[in-house]
Amino acid sequence: MNYRKLTLRSLTKHAVMLALSLFAVFPFYWMIISSFRTEAEMYSSALWPKHWTWDNYADVWRMIPMLDMLGNSTAMSVAQTFFQLGTAILAAYAFSRWTFPGSRVLFLMFALTWLIPFQVTMIPNYVTISAWGWRNTLQGLIAPNLVSAFAIISMTQSFKAFPKGITEAALLDGASSWSILWRMYVPNMKASIASLGILLFINSWNEYFWPLLLTNKLENTVIQIGLQMFMSSDGNAWGPLMAAAVITSVPILAVYLMLQRQIVDSFVKMGLK
Amino acid sequence: MKTQAPIAVHQQGNQKKGEHSRRDATGQQATRLLFRVISRVQPYLYVLPAVLCIAFWLYWPLLQTFRLSFFEWNLLPTTPQKFVGLLNYERILGLPDMRTAIGNSLIYMLGILPFSLILPLTIAIGTERLGRRAKNTYRMLIFFPMMMAPVVVSVVWNWMLHPLNGIVNQALRQGFHLAEPLRFLSDERFALWTILIITGWKIIGFSTLIISSALTGINKDYYEAAMIDRASRWQTIRYITLPLLSPTLIFILMLSILFSSEWSFAYINVLTQGGPSNATLNIYYLLWVYGFKSFSIGWGSAAAVLFFLVFGLIAGLLTKLSNRYSFYDE
Repeated sequence: MNYRKLTLRSLTKHAVMLALSLFAVFPFYWMIISSFRTEAEMYSSALWPKHWTWDNYADVWRMIPMLDMLGNSTAMSVAQTFFQLGTAILAAYAFSRWTFPGSRVLFLMFALTWLIPFQVTMIPNYVTISAWGWRNTLQGLIAPNLVSAFAIISMTQSFKAFPKGITEAALLDGASSWSILWRMYVPNMKASIASLGILLFINSWNEYFWPLLLTNKLENTVIQIGLQMFMSSDGNAWGPLMAAAVITSVPILAVYLMLQRQIVDSFVKMGLK
Repeated sequence: MKTQAPIAVHQQGNQKKGEHSRRDATGQQATRLLFRVISRVQPYLYVLPAVLCIAFWLYWPLLQTFRLSFFEWNLLPTTPQKFVGLLNYERILGLPDMRTAIGNSLIYMLGILPFSLILPLTIAIGTERLGRRAKNTYRMLIFFPMMMAPVVVSVVWNWMLHPLNGIVNQALRQGFHLAEPLRFLSDERFALWTILIITGWKIIGFSTLIISSALTGINKDYYEAAMIDRASRWQTIRYITLPLLSPTLIFILMLSILFSSEWSFAYINVLTQGGPSNATLNIYYLLWVYGFKSFSIGWGSAAAVLFFLVFGLIAGLLTKLSNRYSFYDE
């Protein structure tokens, strides 16, 4: 312990930060604790329950098709992450290696997408997907999210850091641009591609608006919408509801606990652009 | 053909060098031409999938929304779309719901600022000199709500704020001996502020992180110079830290103005559905109601176009402001 640092001022700072941290995390602590409470203790305000039970988890598993919804969420998130990464790698490669006629305009086209809120495009997209008969289907959930402008922009920034000398050397050896991308760029950028992938996955997993519009059957929807439907139908089944919320958060909790440094860092990069 | 590849591919990097190597190259003209075409076209091939998707799922629908704003329609494929000119625009501007939604959205916009700007700025500057370990731990904890799904957040807060059994009301009852529990989400006086606090609570960590890392990026020489000049702590913040942070702060201000209504949408939809008696309604929720509750596609589209234009204008102005007044450390 460094006693020099323990001045009154830094103690106050620590106290404030601890209070804020508690404020940030307490709701999730309460969610997890509540999900293990017995029915008798559900309304108790004790911070630590006397008896713990898995009943709430068993109940919610019985009450709504959790497995289907988890499967849909996983399939949707994996597919979206895969396609968003793929299209971003290709586009970022072009933007970072060449200045071609129209490249600025095209890049701007991606950069400006954040000005178009979901609610402005939702009606025409809904009409398109309905016309194709893709409501309540996985492909309907995935199709409008094959590309992420954020992924393209942040990937372009990472790719720009790739040393030009290596590219030139490979060109002299007769490598095609395609093989340069997959043999040199991608292996060397593995770390930033992976952390971008994690962000994209979390984003897809938490996706709410589009599934809300597109799905109305529990078996065909993702876990987020399932949780909401469960809440509005069994509003007072708090134990099972909290268990469902915990199950919904498990992938995020796992990823965050394992990789919190990378996630936080890449979020910062995204914010700073 | 193989031997030609390096030269041909090289041309796309540098056109003038390409001219030079054309004289040296001795291969067939046709192959060379083919390579030239490929090397010219290839950047476009790489961006094509992304461009097509964005155009189809974002820019095309944007135009469609613009078109639909001049029609009357109820979303059923079997009903014809009736052209009504500017009537939708005239109508929506007179609707009382619209005025409530715009007013509430302004409250969300201003109300989010303490959470997205003021508090994070204070925290970031205040904790700048804490130990690295402690700082990272606090950051990780404060950032945590940002990762969680809006629905999960809504469900948890709904449980905590429950009038009878929620922990918050239990604590208030024990601490302040309240006779009546506070109905955070169903009382007109509290609902908007409750949604605002939940929205803000989720965003604090994100803003704090962004501002902290911008702070770390400031050149330490400035602070040393200020110390030599015997500037007070406050003067240092006022004349060095804040000006150098201004691009970041304006960026966060812009995000808050543009997205406060968007961020609160999920909580409104899960927790209050715009109520009680429109108390929590905001513009994006209203678009949702027009589009998929009352199926007045024309109204919804006209409102969407208006908001899009206004927000675009605000974003443009703020970008200009940022470029003019921001003090960049060159």
